Amino acid sequence: MDPRTCLIVDDSRIIRKVARRIVEGLGFEVDEAADGAEALAWCGSAMPDVVLLDWNMPVMDGLSFLRRLRTLPGGEVPKVLFCTVETAPERIAEALSAGADDYVMKPFDGEILQSKLAEVGAV
Amino acid sequence: MTPEDFERLQALMATRAGFRLTRDRMHLAEHRLGPIARREGFDSVQALLDNLWTKPVASLAWAVIETLLNSETWFRRDREAFESFSRELLPAIGMARPGGLVRVWSAGCGSGQEAYSLAMSARDAKANVEIVATDLSLKAIERARAGAYTGFEIQRGLSASMMLRWFEPLDDHWVARAELQQAVQFNRSNLLDEPIDGPRFDVIFCRYLLKDMEPMRRVAVIEALERRLVDDGCLFVGADERLEGDSVAFRPVNGRKGLFVKSPASISRAA
Repeated sequence: MDPRTCLIVDDSRIIRKVARRIVEGLGFEVDEAADGAEALAWCGSAMPDVVLLDWNMPVMDGLSFLRRLRTLPGGEVPKVLFCTVETAPERIAEALSAGADDYVMKPFDGEILQSKLAEVGAV
Repeated sequence: MTPEDFERLQALMATRAGFRLTRDRMHLAEHRLGPIARREGFDSVQALLDNLWTKPVASLAWAVIETLLNSETWFRRDREAFESFSRELLPAIGMARPGGLVRVWSAGCGSGQEAYSLAMSARDAKANVEIVATDLSLKAIERARAGAYTGFEIQRGLSASMMLRWFEPLDDHWVARAELQQAVQFNRSNLLDEPIDGPRFDVIFCRYLLKDMEPMRRVAVIEALERRLVDDGCLFVGADERLEGDSVAFRPVNGRKGLFVKSPASISRAA
């Protein structure tokens, strides 16, 4: 079986690096994007299995990306996990109703990410 | 902490909690005793220990015991166990009970994540359950009753939609809603002192506890669990825990990690 792929979308290079180390440890092959527009371009050429998605980013934010992604051909396939500092229940509910499979509040660690990926059936 | 102090701590943990404090936990023990020493007004961990050995105060000894236990837990730990519980056991046992009532015991519940996970699963399965959760640590029981978890704790094992449905944010924590808190009855109780004729349960969860016990105490606890389980009931231990070799009270269920039922021997003995 081909390795599963994960696209990490975050405008912080440090967060991308931390998240990359965790998901690579779980056996994923990782690509990175710094905003929603860049992430859409990745998804247009090769749909990842999992997307870790920040909310607030320049150019295109996470929620706009998610809504666009879900209308693309095959765009319903990736498991999308928001990973953001937003912790208000209304925002979490908004993300889930826009089509996110789960939601991770920063700060998070490897155990949390692994258990969230297990809950959505990605590992 | 001297090697002699550590040996006395080992003896204290073994006699009072049945807990096997292994030598590799010496540094961890020293680290965890620091906050208790400060809180109780001692200059150092050594001063706390010297005091503990010369004039043992029950409350101080219990604070020491509670902090040295291995209380790590999280929501829906070993997800398969919760799926067996809600999809297979609850419907099957419920059908065989008056009013469909299934009695569940979370033995060694720590800070309560297991018991709340059981309550959430049962509610999703629309099952009629009564959940009792016990731990020998008073501190753990108080935390479990409060049902308040940090961002790290609440996310470990729990999906965001379950979190929103069953918990609400308060200050820096996520707190179990009243409906969830009321679904579990938390009591302080030591498995070493379980009454022989206490109430019996249809399902017992006692996970990642036996592995840390002194061998002799472990056998006694396994037998206590056997007495408190109905004959057609189920016992869950940790996914990688084994009971074979300690006791003939239970036999493993094929293909279900950590799931045990009573052996024919223990059922006929009861009859």
